Amino acid sequence: MFSIEFIRVVKFAFQSILRNFWLSVVTIIIITLALLSISFLLIFNLMAQRTMDVVETKTNVYIDLSSSATEEQANILINELKKLPAIKEVAFISPEQTLENFNQRHQNDKILLESLVALEENPFRGSLLLTVHNINDFPVILSELSQEDYANYLEIEDQEFTDSKLIIEKISDYSKKIQRGGMVISLFFVLISIVVVFNTIQVGIYTHREEIGIMRLVGASNSFIRSPFLIEGLVYSLISIIILMVIVFPLLALVQPYVDNFLKEYSTDLVAAVSHNLLLFFGVQFIVAAVITVVSSAIAVRRYIKV
Amino acid sequence: MIKFSNVSKYYKPDVTALEDVNLNIEPGEFVSVVGQSGTGKTTIIRLIIAEEKPSKGRIVIGGWDITNIHPKEVPYLRRQIGVVFQDFKLLPKKTVFENVAYALQTCGSPKKRIQSIIPQVLRIVGLEEKTERYPFQLSGGEQQRVVIARSLVHRPKLLVADEPTGNLDSINTREIIDLLKKINQLGTTVVLVTHNRDVVNNLKKRVITIEDGRIISDQDKGRYIL
Repeated sequence: MFSIEFIRVVKFAFQSILRNFWLSVVTIIIITLALLSISFLLIFNLMAQRTMDVVETKTNVYIDLSSSATEEQANILINELKKLPAIKEVAFISPEQTLENFNQRHQNDKILLESLVALEENPFRGSLLLTVHNINDFPVILSELSQEDYANYLEIEDQEFTDSKLIIEKISDYSKKIQRGGMVISLFFVLISIVVVFNTIQVGIYTHREEIGIMRLVGASNSFIRSPFLIEGLVYSLISIIILMVIVFPLLALVQPYVDNFLKEYSTDLVAAVSHNLLLFFGVQFIVAAVITVVSSAIAVRRYIKV
Repeated sequence: MIKFSNVSKYYKPDVTALEDVNLNIEPGEFVSVVGQSGTGKTTIIRLIIAEEKPSKGRIVIGGWDITNIHPKEVPYLRRQIGVVFQDFKLLPKKTVFENVAYALQTCGSPKKRIQSIIPQVLRIVGLEEKTERYPFQLSGGEQQRVVIARSLVHRPKLLVADEPTGNLDSINTREIIDLLKKINQLGTTVVLVTHNRDVVNNLKKRVITIEDGRIISDQDKGRYIL
């Protein structure tokens, strides 16, 4: 009995979609547009997150070895630092390279560079290039390095660390602001979509009011009357998601050069990023669409099956 | 079969559709409910099929007290009552067969049962030759016969007909009334709401007359007295 009812409910749902073809098309377009706006927000979030990740992985800090440090001491220090879980990599940089890096880093500080020239010899014994897992771990590492044991061999300039942290914080701050703005716009769009989808489905159900009346008259249960409309909503959502998938990937490929141009080396491969999160990306949106359509249908049909 | 005990129905703000109606219809009876427009005839039908609930009093249908029937139970009540209205309420995009089968499909009947019942009821109403026609290809009388066929698919003990001849000419009217009589002879209780004087006078069956929401006359083999 249950399977017969289920098959009929599904059949009635598809009949209804086909009989009100243009109304179905309009409903699907509206749902797709609503989902597209959500997609933009999700893609932006993904992009911001990836950019921050790239900035973080590219962030490293030079710690100069003081003139009193011997090579042996430097090796001991490298081994010690490698033991710290927060540190991803430690590399020894030669005195010549250290001098060059120093000059580059301080190219705007004429007095400092002049005083270095005045020394007439390379004052550096080399430096250590630290790469960390998380930018937020830097304070812990710096405090570790400030211990008396190491202090004599190291010239810690936390300026660069501070600069890197500032860049990340700035990106994070902008991203949060844009996310918040995007969220408000998306919510607004989603709200409008809910109202439009709700009304579209109501119109659809209004065209079925006679049929609903007949169903009630001949003793169809409320769940039997309601179910085809709920399935109709699910089908609309599913078709919208498929259309969205078809639209999103070419669209991403289209905007990729502009994103690359804007973000340079921090850019993300958008198609790959979305493909990597395919289930989450489209799954969440399908659930959102399904909830909107099913709830709209349930509310709309309730009016006609009330006793 | 039908028992109304002190039934009243009020609509907001101060409309009285029925006032203190007492009514008892036995199984197998053919009862005409007559009265002018707006006197409460249709309200009686709506109360019988639980489309409305009474404001006061008690209603029992076939031993089932439906005064405060739960909405979930309404479909089961309706499967036991055949309903025919003046406006035919047929689905225009379905054939005669499909329209009648629809009543069984929506209630979860198996295909085999549908295939065996539909030809039977279409034979009763005389439409066995027109099963593949669409409503627009039928006359008013034929359309009403499709509705009657649809109301019979659940083999109801009770058939209520609200002005079933309201949109029909005299020939089709006679055919429909004859069909209702035939259904009654097969054992189904028939409640016919009408304001057609000739129909009521020719039937020579029980007549309940309503005026201003009250029963003013209840006669066996009665006549249209208004």
